[in-house]
Amino acid sequence: MSKSFTAADMYGWIEEGIGHLYLDVRNEDDFARFHVEGPNNIEMLNIPYFDFLEMPEESTEKLDDSRSIRVICAKEGSAQFISDMLEEFGFADVQWLANGIVSWGNLLVAKQIPSPEHYEVWQFNRPGKASCSYGFAYNGEVMFFDVSKDVSFYQRFAEDRQWRIVSVFETHLQADYISGGPSLAEACGVDYLAHDGDFATSNITYRPVVDGERIGFSGAAGPSVLCTHSPGHTPGSTTYVLDDRYMISGDTVFIVSVGRPDLGKKVVEWAKQLYITLKQRICVLPESLAVLPGHYTDWAREADDAYLIMNDFGTVKALNESIYGLESEQAFVSWVEEHMRPQPETYDRIRKVNAHLDEVDAATAEELDLGKNQCAASQG
Amino acid sequence: MSHNDEIDCSGMSCPLPVVKSKMKIDTMSPGEVLKIITTDPGSCKDIPAWANRVGHEMIEEAEENGKYYFLVKRGD
Repeated sequence: MSKSFTAADMYGWIEEGIGHLYLDVRNEDDFARFHVEGPNNIEMLNIPYFDFLEMPEESTEKLDDSRSIRVICAKEGSAQFISDMLEEFGFADVQWLANGIVSWGNLLVAKQIPSPEHYEVWQFNRPGKASCSYGFAYNGEVMFFDVSKDVSFYQRFAEDRQWRIVSVFETHLQADYISGGPSLAEACGVDYLAHDGDFATSNITYRPVVDGERIGFSGAAGPSVLCTHSPGHTPGSTTYVLDDRYMISGDTVFIVSVGRPDLGKKVVEWAKQLYITLKQRICVLPESLAVLPGHYTDWAREADDAYLIMNDFGTVKALNESIYGLESEQAFVSWVEEHMRPQPETYDRIRKVNAHLDEVDAATAEELDLGKNQCAASQG
Repeated sequence: MSHNDEIDCSGMSCPLPVVKSKMKIDTMSPGEVLKIITTDPGSCKDIPAWANRVGHEMIEEAEENGKYYFLVKRGD
């Protein structure tokens, strides 16, 4: 009987560059919609499990039996079935992904960001979504930003370090994943902080953040969070500057590209807003700030040597000269329009769920939540 | 549309609905129609994908009260 592996094992192998051959046995549509990607090249084959049923010899011949094979499917049943079959065909090292592709989609990888000693900053990378949430901890207290739906992860993370969760921030009303922010804040009895521009019409209890406001930990001393309203991707988008060193930029500034302003179907209006935001509110921030974005598109270009998705703002501006260098509102709007592409049809529904204007059961939430983000205005 | 045989895969999860359907349709003659009943949401895409891949014809797909119904005509 073949053995299983976890999504966390897989992340580790990919990061370390261990050269397994990954075999995804889901149907071709589901594979095309979402599959495993990572910071290093992944050798990946998609052969649906029913091909192995119908044509066992031909399908198996496509695989090198001297390789270690790691099999992926939707839940785990088919991957286990195919792994057992490959073992019978004489493959020596075959394992299957426990709990299926969803466990990869939900995996969060915690990495500490270099910081001054008296506080900690953490990036929680969700490789299956290509999105990042953050933790900011000082003196036994922790603030979280843009948390994803698995709130128990953040609770455990804080408990393990004996930190008290003191506030939960949202950079904007997310369209591409289901936010865990409101439930985490409620479970901890703390404020859920977000901007009226996105949340005024929601059914969520939140504490509005105000442009220019500084929010600290419970003592008077210690670092603080500066709230900078940065509309464009959404009307309420807010950039949080931690200790004048880090910019939690949500979907406004990415390491490569900027957040697309066409998701609200008011492309020109929101694109103009984003242009003003970038020129007047973002580009005036120090170039030494470390950009900590809500998403990335391409690991290879956007991660640093420690696989952190971050870079200093000066470098980010240089990397995106073709965007930041646009010298008129009209040129910027044209650039946005040229790069527009359809948004996934699930985004409207996710926005409503995140505003508590629509309720879905756990299975539907899981289905809506799966898959890589499409939040950047341009693709590379 | 009428069918020649039927297989109920209610309660089974992936890959069993496709495994059982394959075994059943293999016993039938080309042109005969198999009705497949499933409850696994994953089968909505997998049954048609399997049928198309193998050269069977997907004649009908329906969903009712949490069950999925498929009519698949065996290829040559």
